[in-house]
Amino acid sequence: MRDPLSNQKVLDNLIQAIISGDEAEAKKITEEALGAGMAPLDLVQKGAVKAMDILGEKWRKFEIFLSHVMLAAEAMKSVMAILLPKIAAEQKRRISLGKVVLGTVSGDIHDIGKNIVATLLSVAGFEVHDIGVDIPSKDFIEKAKELNADIIAMSCLLSTSMYFQKDIIQYLKDAGLREKYYVIVGGGPVTADWASEIGADGWGKYASDAVTVCRELVTGDVRPPLLKPVLVGE
Amino acid sequence: MSVQTLLDVLDRAHTGPVCSVKDWDMKVIPSKVLEKLREHGLTGACTPENPINSDDSLADEFWRAGFELAVDVGMICLDTERVIKFTEEELKGAIRNAPSELVLGEGLDRVLMKARKPEDKIRPLYCAPIGVEASEDLWIPLIQGIAQHRAVDMIQGCSLRTVLGRQLRSGTPYETLAGRVQAEMHREALWRAGRPGMCATSVITSPTVYGQLGGYGVPGGYRTSDLALVLSPAELKTSYVSLHKVVHAINCGGNIFAGSSSVIGGYAGPVEGSTIAMVASALLQIAVHQSGWGSCSVIDMRYNGNCGRDAQWAISVAYQGITRNASLMTQCVLNQVAGPCTDMLLYESAVGMANLSVSGLSFSIGPRSAGGKYADYMSPLECKFCAEVFKSSAGMRREEANELANALLPKYEDKLRNPPKGKNFTECYDLKALRPTKEWLETYLRVKNELIDLGMSLE
Repeated sequence: MRDPLSNQKVLDNLIQAIISGDEAEAKKITEEALGAGMAPLDLVQKGAVKAMDILGEKWRKFEIFLSHVMLAAEAMKSVMAILLPKIAAEQKRRISLGKVVLGTVSGDIHDIGKNIVATLLSVAGFEVHDIGVDIPSKDFIEKAKELNADIIAMSCLLSTSMYFQKDIIQYLKDAGLREKYYVIVGGGPVTADWASEIGADGWGKYASDAVTVCRELVTGDVRPPLLKPVLVGE
Repeated sequence: MSVQTLLDVLDRAHTGPVCSVKDWDMKVIPSKVLEKLREHGLTGACTPENPINSDDSLADEFWRAGFELAVDVGMICLDTERVIKFTEEELKGAIRNAPSELVLGEGLDRVLMKARKPEDKIRPLYCAPIGVEASEDLWIPLIQGIAQHRAVDMIQGCSLRTVLGRQLRSGTPYETLAGRVQAEMHREALWRAGRPGMCATSVITSPTVYGQLGGYGVPGGYRTSDLALVLSPAELKTSYVSLHKVVHAINCGGNIFAGSSSVIGGYAGPVEGSTIAMVASALLQIAVHQSGWGSCSVIDMRYNGNCGRDAQWAISVAYQGITRNASLMTQCVLNQVAGPCTDMLLYESAVGMANLSVSGLSFSIGPRSAGGKYADYMSPLECKFCAEVFKSSAGMRREEANELANALLPKYEDKLRNPPKGKNFTECYDLKALRPTKEWLETYLRVKNELIDLGMSLE
């Protein structure tokens, strides 16, 4: 090994770099570790994933805040971008819980709920594609098709934009695509009743509930659409 | 308001320093807020055991930190990804030139809003309700019921669920139509209540700019004596939606009411960070959006409301800081999470309204019954209650308000994440008589008597 540090020391440094949101340092450690012959899968499972577990715990205890977790999630994504191409397809499937296309629906520019969901899903091991705010309905579907996503997630803070969540689900049905994607909804005025009424597959009372909802969907054995949605915090 | 100032702001939105929204959220705001907290020795300053501050020097320090934050970072325009910045002198000038009093409404329903100080004896004004969604057929009786309570000074109204029976989608022509339709319903409700000249904050059913264009200052729409509402999605952010609304209000010759919210645990970090961001954002609403007053509320993301200890502390410190150091009118929204016909809603309201009053607020808009999550979960009685507590707390000492908060918070704080939904308007009101049900009235009277027993001088 070129690096005199032990493998554990490297992993500890990587965890620390990710937790502190130091993207450049996290990338440097990863590249050096690979150069020194460390296994990419070890760096993922004993480094990046562990860092995300620690972050998730700190978030739940309100010891760190959104911007910090967003920075850390960015650092983690950069590390994963280096490591994933070096990992076999079968192992990749075990690392990533699934692909999520996430955005705030049309007519609504509120972003904080969406950003919390994006960050926490990334931390939990989902591959999140955040397509932004005020997103036209068809853009969700086009992006999901392009990425072969597992989940379409729609955020919304305005009652007057909630109907776009319904529109997207209806479009998926009409286009014969409803069986391809789980659909989850959330946001200030979005209730469990609304999620059931429009035929969504999941809903969480708080943004942080999205992780539980998505985990339950992708690890369950029921393909979409679900007859009864997964409701967390009802 | 001046067109020259408007042009200057618009020019800055197109020529100011470039910054991506991502960098703004993840780097600029958190690092600058942290820097201010450290520089001013404010890290860990929150005292949840005393949720209503009475330390003037602490409030002043947050004012200084918030003012500096406003000058150092400015406000980002989301559409251009450029920062609208002001020098210290420019921001001081904007604050100096803001009005310290304003007559609102028309005829016998006119009211005078004034800048207040902490513990001020001047009675603040209450505007009700905040934009909880309401069904079209209930909208007029609900607003009529609220307006007929004399303690309520101004009306914002509820967001429409549908427009002329059609689903109302934001950003579509339905929204443009809704602006006008809501204005007509609003006038009808005020006429029925016998208070046709009450000032409105309008148009609440305007998530994008279309509702405002369709309903404010146009024939048959809201009057230019009503306030034009300009709400931004987060602290220290503006957008073309907000700036369009500003331009439209100026085009019509109306007065602007601009506001936003900071989120505890969000971009500005801990409660102390949100407090600084509230001060900065309230000041920049005046400079950027030409608002007649400073306004920024706060939301605690742990329960999506602001009647818990940390949020109440943030409100008290931020607004005591502002009102002690500037002759500004100020507004802050109280975000309750419990629903109508519950004592929790009244306890949340009592703590929050007393705090707003003793912390020097000129007016407040609310309540957000049931957290604004459910259509028609709003009734006139909690609006009356909020107005009564708000006004009767004028002149109360902050220590007394803090004692009141400490007596009431234990009754509800463990339920903030899972609050009772309560009952909707049709369930807790007799719609023909526009009177609360026996259950709701008795709950109201019981809590009111509890407050009187705790020393509040309610009528």
